[in-house]
Amino acid sequence: MLKDLTIFQLAGNAATHAGRRQALLTQNVANADTPGYRALDLPDFAEAVSLETRGAAMQATRPTHLQGTSSQINRIEPFERPGEADPNGNTVALDRELMFAVDAKRTHDRSLAVYRSALDILRTAIRVR
Amino acid sequence: MNEFSRALQVSSSAMHAQATRLRHVSENISNADTPGFRRKSVSFEAEVDPVSNLTLLRVGDVRQDQSDLTTVFDPQHPLADDNGQYKGSNVSLLVEIVDAREARRSYEANLKMFDQVRQMSSSLMSLLRK
Repeated sequence: MLKDLTIFQLAGNAATHAGRRQALLTQNVANADTPGYRALDLPDFAEAVSLETRGAAMQATRPTHLQGTSSQINRIEPFERPGEADPNGNTVALDRELMFAVDAKRTHDRSLAVYRSALDILRTAIRVR
Repeated sequence: MNEFSRALQVSSSAMHAQATRLRHVSENISNADTPGFRRKSVSFEAEVDPVSNLTLLRVGDVRQDQSDLTTVFDPQHPLADDNGQYKGSNVSLLVEIVDAREARRSYEANLKMFDQVRQMSSSLMSLLRK
């Protein structure tokens, strides 16, 4: 039911996206010393949204209006991040991975905060006094 | 299985592998003065688990370093040959310390990711509270 409200859908998809990204970054860090491993990453959520809605966007009176996103957005395939390779063919740079991981955590926290605040509004609306 | 538990599994496989590497390093260091000891090294392989489709870190074969053993001059040593020399180990302490430092850094990075994934999943769970 909550999925009918686009704000929940959007926040939920953003949180899932951050979770997927975090899982990929964890995999990169785990393989930081594996010869020949190529670092993987996902496009930003904003980029993923624009990739998804391109062509099939609904008509809106203003471009900033929320249109929601479908769950397809979290089927986007990871890509190999370009970068300098070590002599053993590994492209993981630990400092970069940790920085991206902090970014992913902040995105996740932000999405959960939006979700929680929307939930609070719903609760306030249905509260019986 | 959701992304978070997958990430935790990958992290723990990597921590296990780094710990194994550190164990071999300490074996090498403790045997640095053992005559005839050859330095052991582990190799890492990215392995895709067929069930969960995760790229886990696996410790490959343990190999012995086949480089030349050092020659030590000590005529009093029970293993000394006619020239008063015996074969020591081929462990270089400097290499081992660097290897240990790298293993520790990678372990810490994995631990940090593990902790962060745990925090993210617990903040997700706290949505259910209240």
